[in-house]
Amino acid sequence: MESTIVKSVNYNAYFGDNHVVKDVNIEIPRNTTIAVMGPSGCGKTTFLRGINRMHELIPGATAKGQILLNGEDVMEMHPIFVRLKIGMVFQRPNPFPNLSIYDNVIAGYKLNGIKLPKAERDNIVQHSLTRVALWNEVKDSLTKKGSFLSGGQQQRLCIARAVAMEPEVLLFDEPTSALDPISTSTVEELFHELKKNYTLIIVTHNMQQAARVSDRTAFFYMGELVEFDDTKTMFTNPKDIRTQNYITGRFS
Amino acid sequence: MSVAIKYRIGKSTAFKTLVIVLSLACVVPLLFILVYILQAGITKINWNFLTNLPKPVGESGGGIANALVGTMIIVGTASIIAIPFGILCGIYLSENKNSKLAYWSRLCIDILQGIPSIVIGIVAYFWLVKPLNSFSSLSGSMALAIMMLPIVVRSTEETLLLLPDSLREAAYALGMPFHRVILKVIVPCGISGIMSGVMLSVARITGETAPLLFTAFGNPYLTTDITKPMQSLPLLIFNYATSPYNDWHDLAWGASCILLIWVLLLNIFTKLITRKWKVQL
Amino acid sequence: MTQLEHELQSVKVELVGMWSLVESQLKKTRTSMVLFDRDLAREVSMKEKRVNAFELKIDRDCENIFALYCPVAVDLRFLLAVLKINTNLERIGDIADGISKYIIEALENFDEDLFAKTEVIKMFDDAISMLADTRIAFEKDDTTLARSIFQRDEVLDDINYAAIDRISNAIAEDLTVMHDALYVLSIIRKLERVGDQTKNIAEEIIFFVEAKVLKHHQEIQRK
Repeated sequence: MESTIVKSVNYNAYFGDNHVVKDVNIEIPRNTTIAVMGPSGCGKTTFLRGINRMHELIPGATAKGQILLNGEDVMEMHPIFVRLKIGMVFQRPNPFPNLSIYDNVIAGYKLNGIKLPKAERDNIVQHSLTRVALWNEVKDSLTKKGSFLSGGQQQRLCIARAVAMEPEVLLFDEPTSALDPISTSTVEELFHELKKNYTLIIVTHNMQQAARVSDRTAFFYMGELVEFDDTKTMFTNPKDIRTQNYITGRFS
Repeated sequence: MSVAIKYRIGKSTAFKTLVIVLSLACVVPLLFILVYILQAGITKINWNFLTNLPKPVGESGGGIANALVGTMIIVGTASIIAIPFGILCGIYLSENKNSKLAYWSRLCIDILQGIPSIVIGIVAYFWLVKPLNSFSSLSGSMALAIMMLPIVVRSTEETLLLLPDSLREAAYALGMPFHRVILKVIVPCGISGIMSGVMLSVARITGETAPLLFTAFGNPYLTTDITKPMQSLPLLIFNYATSPYNDWHDLAWGASCILLIWVLLLNIFTKLITRKWKVQL
Repeated sequence: MTQLEHELQSVKVELVGMWSLVESQLKKTRTSMVLFDRDLAREVSMKEKRVNAFELKIDRDCENIFALYCPVAVDLRFLLAVLKINTNLERIGDIADGISKYIIEALENFDEDLFAKTEVIKMFDDAISMLADTRIAFEKDDTTLARSIFQRDEVLDDINYAAIDRISNAIAEDLTVMHDALYVLSIIRKLERVGDQTKNIAEEIIFFVEAKVLKHHQEIQRK
């Protein structure tokens, strides 16, 4: 298996005339956790959303360049296919409020009209919920609505929903910024588990979180990828002065 | 010091009292109408009243079966025409908030909502009645559908706009195509709001008289042919109440009472639906 | 300046204060050795407590900054360096104290000829100036100056290496200086340790400024 799973080549993204991601070249190895950090408005979330082509859902948003998934350009693929391969978890937990916990987990199949035998569905639900360490907490209330769970549980439910589709890459857009510290650490523990099977790309504002969970860290500033390196190196000896100023809090 | 404070407290109390009194005053007309019409109409309603046709002048008794059936057909047809259009248009407006088309259609719908019902009736008359050379319930339904449309559109749009974007994103991120995002996620989550909009618009048009004057026209006999003139409750009330015969006045009171109960029921039902189907976001 | 920068600045000021104290301890020890001034030696011994107090204070401050600010990158390296330099300085303080103890113990003035033969005073002067220069390098983040320490330490090593022969020759010439000679040998051994500690400090300075680890590396990489 090739070691690089996602690669961007001169990727540019725009909102109308606003050039928000500039010539990003990055190679992301398989089964690693990548943290993407940078100040607000630096284009990191836009880049993340570019990877599974969520970016273009926003009116006026366009993109240029290539994003390669296993060597294939996602810009040439159908977005729906890309999004099945690259799952995404958002800042605020967003389970489908009209569906039960069970249905939320298999929402990717159910709402896409993919018919599965009951045994297989049960299996997927249990497997996905176990993987996000939620099974024991919800196994007796699978028919309840997802919105009755706590924030942290909801977020794990959303991760289970993404995991259930067996994607290759999971994107996280500030996944813990709406959670309390306990839920945050639960989700962070989860990253270590998920890393074994998936490639995780996590946008975070929390530098300590980036340091704790990721193998490599990318630093974005003003739409550019300033530095992409081993997380340990990044937090002890960043090469670029902008990275250093950002992580040491001397940013003006 | 203390005098100043007492003065301020006094002003505050006076204002609160005023607000309460005026709120109560709003309830009075409704109660008055309810009591008055129920008093006058409830005694006229019985099985014969609901199942018989009106008797000619001079004979006592008779019912409003033709108007009941007519109203159902006219309102039903109008709903069949307006609801799909309205909901789809509302979905478009909420999904494409900033497009040019959305701007113009929103403007047109706002204007449409402001057009007097009698004008809509005249338009329907020139469009349908004149070319077909006959009054018909279909033309009445068209006029009512036009009246319904803005209400359905706006209530759908407003309901869907309240749904957070994160919901759409969640659906798109699972690789769902647009039509499934709308049908399986957006509409189910907003169904209570959409339904209440639909119910209120039905309640609203059931009582409309003006657009029917030149279109459905009225008919003393029972008919289910939508290409023919047809009786409806508001038309019946309008015609019979302005007639000089006491028997007909009784029919008008009874019909008013039925209309009132129908609107009340729809309103209560709407409240129930909104509560029951409300999706906790 | 951010709050973290204020904290780091105050740690730096404290460490420089400790540095000056240790320097003055070494200088006084040298003077007391040359002039055989036991009172001065006793003063050094007394002041050793202040060096220890400095060490504890700086340790605690670093601990607090780690706990409260989670420093990263250059700040992290700076604090790690401060912790280690702190230990090194305290050891140098101990050495000054140890040499002072010899002077207090010794019954009579050291033989001045021995000083000349063994170059112990030059060694002392070099050690003091190396320590002063590392301090300047630390204050100014001057890694060139810090690198120069490595070569200057070799001079101390050479003196130390030659000491055995020189001392045994001196004893062979005149048995009466045996007692003094052994003291001087011990002092030389201790001063050699000062050189090593100073070298370690220089390595830490280069580590925090340039993020290069020079410890246990060959000389080539130090240039």
